[in-house]
Amino acid sequence: MYLIMVLLFASFASVFAQTKVSGTVTDASGTTVPGVSIVEKGTPNGITSDINGKYSLTVGSNAILHFSFVGMTEVDEAVNGRTTIDVVMVSSAIGLDEVVVTALGIQRDKKTLTYASQQVTGEELMKARGTNFMENLSGKTAGLEIEKSASGAGGSTRVIMRGFKSLGGSSEPLYVIDGIPVMNIKRGQPGMWGGADNGDGLSQLNPDDIESINVLKGLNASILYGSQGANGVVLVTTKKGMAGKTLVSINSTTTFESVLVYPELQFDYGALNGAKESWSTTKGGTKYSEDMMKDFFETGNNLVNGVTVSGGNNITTAYFSYNNTSAKGIIPNNKYGKNNVSFKQSTKLFNDKLVLGSNVMLASELIENRNVAGYYLNPLTGLYNFPRERDFMDYKNNYKIFSESRNMYLQNVYVVDHHLSNPYWIVNMEPKEEKIQRMIANATADYSFTEQLALVVRGTYDYVDYKMTEKHAAGSNVTNVSQNGQYIFGDRTDTKAYADALLKYDNTFGKLNVTGFVGGSYTKNKWSGKGASNGTNNLLYPNVFSTQNYPTNIVVNEYGGETIMQSLYASVSLGWDDMFYLDVSGRNDWSSTLIGTDDGASYFYPSVGGVVLLSNVFTLPEIISFLKIRGSIAQAAKEVPWNSILSDNSISGSLGGINKSTRQPWTDLKPELITSNELGLEFKLLKGRVGFDFTYYNNNSTNQFLNVELAPEEKGRYQTKNINIGEIVNKGVEMTIDFIPVQTNTITWKTAFNYHKNTNEIISLDPENPNRVIGMGSSEGYQTFLRAGGSYGDLYGFKFRRNEAGQIMLDEKTGRPLKTATQYDVNDWTVGYLGNLEPDWNLGWNNNIQVDRFNIGLLISGKFGGEVVSQTESMLDGWGVSKRSGEARDVGYVEINAIKGTTPVTQISAFDYYAEGGGTGGRNGIIEPYVYDRTNIRVSQFSVAYDFDVKKLKPIAGLSLSLVGQNLFILYKKAPYDPELAMSTNNSSQSLDNFNTPATRTYGFNIKVTF
Amino acid sequence: MKKIFFVLILTLGFFACTDNFEEANKNHYLISDVELEQDFNLLGSPFQGFLSNLFGHQIEEDLVHDNFMRNLGTPTPFVGGVNNTTYYIRWNSYWGRIYGSVMSPSLQVIKQADEGGYEVFSAWAKMLQVLAISKLTAWHGPVIYSNYGVSGQANIYDKEDVLYDKLFADLDAIQAVFAANNTYKGLVKFDASYNGDVAKWSKLVNSMRLRLAIRISKVAPALAKTQGEKAMSDPAGLISANSENFNVSLYGNKLPMNVICFEWGDTRMGAGFESFMVGMKDNRIASYFAPVEDVSLVTDHPDWPYKGIHSGAFLDAKDQRLPYSTVNESFKSVTSRRYFTYSEVLLLKAEAALRGWAGAGDAKTNYEDGVRASFADWGAGGVDAYLADATSKPINYVDPKEARNNFTSRTDITAEWNESDSNELKLEKIITQKWINNFTNSLESWTDFRRTGYPKIPVNAKNDSNADWGVIPDGEFIKRMPFINGERDNNKEGVADATAKLGGPDNIATRLWWDTGGPNF
Repeated sequence: MYLIMVLLFASFASVFAQTKVSGTVTDASGTTVPGVSIVEKGTPNGITSDINGKYSLTVGSNAILHFSFVGMTEVDEAVNGRTTIDVVMVSSAIGLDEVVVTALGIQRDKKTLTYASQQVTGEELMKARGTNFMENLSGKTAGLEIEKSASGAGGSTRVIMRGFKSLGGSSEPLYVIDGIPVMNIKRGQPGMWGGADNGDGLSQLNPDDIESINVLKGLNASILYGSQGANGVVLVTTKKGMAGKTLVSINSTTTFESVLVYPELQFDYGALNGAKESWSTTKGGTKYSEDMMKDFFETGNNLVNGVTVSGGNNITTAYFSYNNTSAKGIIPNNKYGKNNVSFKQSTKLFNDKLVLGSNVMLASELIENRNVAGYYLNPLTGLYNFPRERDFMDYKNNYKIFSESRNMYLQNVYVVDHHLSNPYWIVNMEPKEEKIQRMIANATADYSFTEQLALVVRGTYDYVDYKMTEKHAAGSNVTNVSQNGQYIFGDRTDTKAYADALLKYDNTFGKLNVTGFVGGSYTKNKWSGKGASNGTNNLLYPNVFSTQNYPTNIVVNEYGGETIMQSLYASVSLGWDDMFYLDVSGRNDWSSTLIGTDDGASYFYPSVGGVVLLSNVFTLPEIISFLKIRGSIAQAAKEVPWNSILSDNSISGSLGGINKSTRQPWTDLKPELITSNELGLEFKLLKGRVGFDFTYYNNNSTNQFLNVELAPEEKGRYQTKNINIGEIVNKGVEMTIDFIPVQTNTITWKTAFNYHKNTNEIISLDPENPNRVIGMGSSEGYQTFLRAGGSYGDLYGFKFRRNEAGQIMLDEKTGRPLKTATQYDVNDWTVGYLGNLEPDWNLGWNNNIQVDRFNIGLLISGKFGGEVVSQTESMLDGWGVSKRSGEARDVGYVEINAIKGTTPVTQISAFDYYAEGGGTGGRNGIIEPYVYDRTNIRVSQFSVAYDFDVKKLKPIAGLSLSLVGQNLFILYKKAPYDPELAMSTNNSSQSLDNFNTPATRTYGFNIKVTF
Repeated sequence: MKKIFFVLILTLGFFACTDNFEEANKNHYLISDVELEQDFNLLGSPFQGFLSNLFGHQIEEDLVHDNFMRNLGTPTPFVGGVNNTTYYIRWNSYWGRIYGSVMSPSLQVIKQADEGGYEVFSAWAKMLQVLAISKLTAWHGPVIYSNYGVSGQANIYDKEDVLYDKLFADLDAIQAVFAANNTYKGLVKFDASYNGDVAKWSKLVNSMRLRLAIRISKVAPALAKTQGEKAMSDPAGLISANSENFNVSLYGNKLPMNVICFEWGDTRMGAGFESFMVGMKDNRIASYFAPVEDVSLVTDHPDWPYKGIHSGAFLDAKDQRLPYSTVNESFKSVTSRRYFTYSEVLLLKAEAALRGWAGAGDAKTNYEDGVRASFADWGAGGVDAYLADATSKPINYVDPKEARNNFTSRTDITAEWNESDSNELKLEKIITQKWINNFTNSLESWTDFRRTGYPKIPVNAKNDSNADWGVIPDGEFIKRMPFINGERDNNKEGVADATAKLGGPDNIATRLWWDTGGPNF
């Protein structure tokens, strides 16, 4: 009896036998790692390693300890009676089991993904301390076509993945922060006649809050975001607090900005008879020099200072950051200021079953005198054009002169011309101001029913308020501004309310792993605004800028609208033995913009993809550590723009005339459809020493939404209609090769090449009218348009008129070069074709070199092929202020292979060749010589950072000092200006330069202290 | 588990609910047809747009017929001095305005009016179409009219004889409705020209008929006579006083000529007008233009200190000619502009009398009354002295900055009517006075000029015409505007057919139907 009890007791004891296990967690270099999560597998029993990397946990003696930490490979250790278990954790950058964040914030193993994506850490992103985080990505990811606007700090960015897809809508990706889509409102953009980039939503984010960015490149990756994600998704994961570790970091960056490429001008020849063009052939006696021109530009600066505080324990973690940016641009009086505050917390309840998280981001921007482009109210036209015999210093110092007749100061300007103003008057007397306030707030609840089944519910509210004013003083250019001045104001508010719910399931049955989810979301976007401008209608009193001073015929315009999207989606991913994975997804949307159509507001689209991990299926030679092929086919349907089905009349003018809508109501509208096929290959050699990721894709967009003129035989009560037409194909290749050429104890050199190439083809536009063209931006001398059989970015314009022998034909009366009769000919598409504005291929070469405590980053990026057009160069030639027109006058002629009637001509005067109205230059000249090869290679980013040894400097945990630079040198270009600076970041006017602000280089230093 | 399914089903139900969608997809800042029915605004409110779009802006008036007819001249060498004014076409956009802002929406109004039984509105909209198309056809010749709005055929142009037949028939139908409803009050709220007085619109109908009849008087004399006599004998009468002038309100906007002259500095007095008005000592010049401040510009006639710019001129810097005569300051504050004046009616009757049309009265009386009406309308004095002046004739023009722009007057015409003059000379006087009167309304002057050769305005100094748009021989004048590029590119079938109907190549040298060349009698 007693024996039985002892036996029983013994067995009891063994069942309940507990061991106290402790140890230290270090990384590969021996440094202790705090915050590592150590959990007894299969139980909620766990702890995190302390600041010294030490842990201590009481576990069952048969327990298995699971060690995990972001960015490091997870480790399992069976206790087996041990009491001390030290663990070395290896960075998973070399490891093969990378966990990445995918659509809807779901974390997955990268190896199981059936589509192309690329992740960049926040640290890598911010290495060169650029203020616009999307620009920082350029060259570091294969497949992102990024253009920065020429409008300076706070300007918008144009980001395109896999080509131009949508005629009527945007081709830009969706931006998602922590799983929740945010607004990226792109406001007005400049055109040929002026205007400024009014920014977009990205500039409001604080790049230092970014933990990592995962770019989901194609539709296949983003189907779960539906149509919004059809252009690709940029998934931003922000930093959060870590349990057991309090971290304070302070960052201060100071960079300077100076002009990278000045236009090439002549300063030797002035104007004849007081004209505004400098066509004298007598050299010398000029009072305007290159230094005076360059002196207009200032050295800009960017001061960015921020602090982040994060910490937490097992239950709650929190993250707080504040960032201030203060910048001055190269054009006088252009200033930018931004404040960002962000607060994020995460709390575990009910035994870690429920995680409640919240995040609030606040941003406030103030932009003064944002750079403009185009002909009107642009200081650069007057700066470059100033007739050289006139006294520039006097013009600069006395930009305003007193008018006796009006008893006030007016502009000192030598000519009444719609293109020209005194540049110093514009920057001092025509101020513009933009204020933007933004708040993004979200809350998340994540409840784990069991280890396999969880429910996530999220809600977010995104609010942007934008206000702008322009106050043009009396005396400003009379083409645009009334005698008493001009007052423009505009307010706009955009809000987005988003909620989703996701039921996640993850279970393994033997060799079969089933992951899936079912969810739904609701999105409501609202926008509204109002504004007014008096134009050239005279203000009541000079130089008072308020609406009370408006004359009575000014109308204040109001606008606004709303779209609602409701969706249901489901996805299942089956994995077999870690060798084969199959993804099947489907989504159904109900969009408010399609209500009233024949097919209704609901539409469905599916996708399917597969992965084969060849390295797990077959035994491969040891050199190949990883080999995967993946493929997927996906569809997305994109809703039509708001208010496209029916349309109403507008009230016009100050006396209430009605403009009847002449757009035909059309209820047969369908959503745009994009079908994407993708095939990819990834491999890693030598345990990750060499990596290769290749994707081929083929996208087909059909049912393009477009507003077109009715066929001429159908016109009458209506002139235009909205239809679904067309087919656009984008095909291309994305390739990333990364390797570590050098890896020793003291030196590590990682390098990566990111290559992408996209070919766009417009298969068809309007089957009823095969010669229809759809304009994408034009000016007098050239046009860009879409046509069936052509591609996005096709450029047409006037060329030299040549005879059969290729000689340029000269006008028999005037001796000046003739231009072709038409810019294009629908019977022969080679007529007037000047090239395509899109680059042929892109290559970025990114290097990361660690030498002891030094880290050197170098990014060289290049775009190859394609064309750009410079209306600026044409105007400069037309006015006789360009360097080449001066050099031609130095020698007395321009060489030309020409013919006048039947007489060959080899030399004509500079005036005859270049001057406006018969030469190549000016508005509506011959654009052919102003089309340049877009190819350019530059040192995009460069940084040298030194990480100080702070072991003796407690409480400082880290101190680094870095020198940084962006856009430092253009190693190669053919265009006389920087072709990568975009005048506009919407679809039209791409690769066009019309008095854009010159490109700049930035350079400076950064100090980071962590506690 | 059950709970989860329940939630899922609820959610599905929620997602199928799309009640808010229609509200969301509506633009609340527009006004729907249903909303316009309140206060009976639906049919009448678009007429403001129809009326104001009968006229265009700089590239549809100033740089087209205002320059062709030498009313105005531009100091600006647009596009290097090679542009419409020198017979190289750069701008040709009036077509788009007429179809987009008048023809298309007026068809909508006509349909709605017919459906509702509002025949006066329907006729009124039709009248606006006639007013618009009568201008457009003077630009291009064949235009789309009878087929417009007919599905499958709306791209086919009318041959001009067919077009004028249709216009006359439409005027018949319109007049029938107006005559039967001449006390109708429905138009009052929407009619800034005649305050809804249908009887006055009837007078305009008759006056338009007379104008069109005179237009075709050389190419179709019998039809012209019939229509002209009908116009002059209709009981509603013609525009019979300056108070009955058909003016179009500017609806709070600035007169384009004012903007172009004073804000853009792109237009000044025309040298042709200087030659005639200074030469004939015409006091209306003070109502039209402003004297120059720089007297060195007018050494050729210091008593009449007005200097104009020639059209089709050799220009250098724009600022060279900014000091030349601007238009009168009063144009900065005008609130309407002239489409059809009493003076023009009288001068039409004067020509009708010369042609022996019944009811036209006496040519001399009509001529002199027409000049008097014009002086009165423009607030100028001394009309008696003017009409008695048998010696003052147009002067030769001198451009102080560029001698190549100088010209010699092609005519010795005077203001005094002489019964013993030939019909040609009498017609020249009539048309010359009509041209001077129609300042700011020069399209009909261009039509008269091509038809009759009068007034004898100077030829271009600079002629850049070439095969691109058609060659105008030196010493000759532009005959029409080509069909617009939009039509040439997107309506090839229609344009090919129209060109055949035009009876000559689609360029600026092809005469229109009623421009027969040859003598006027």
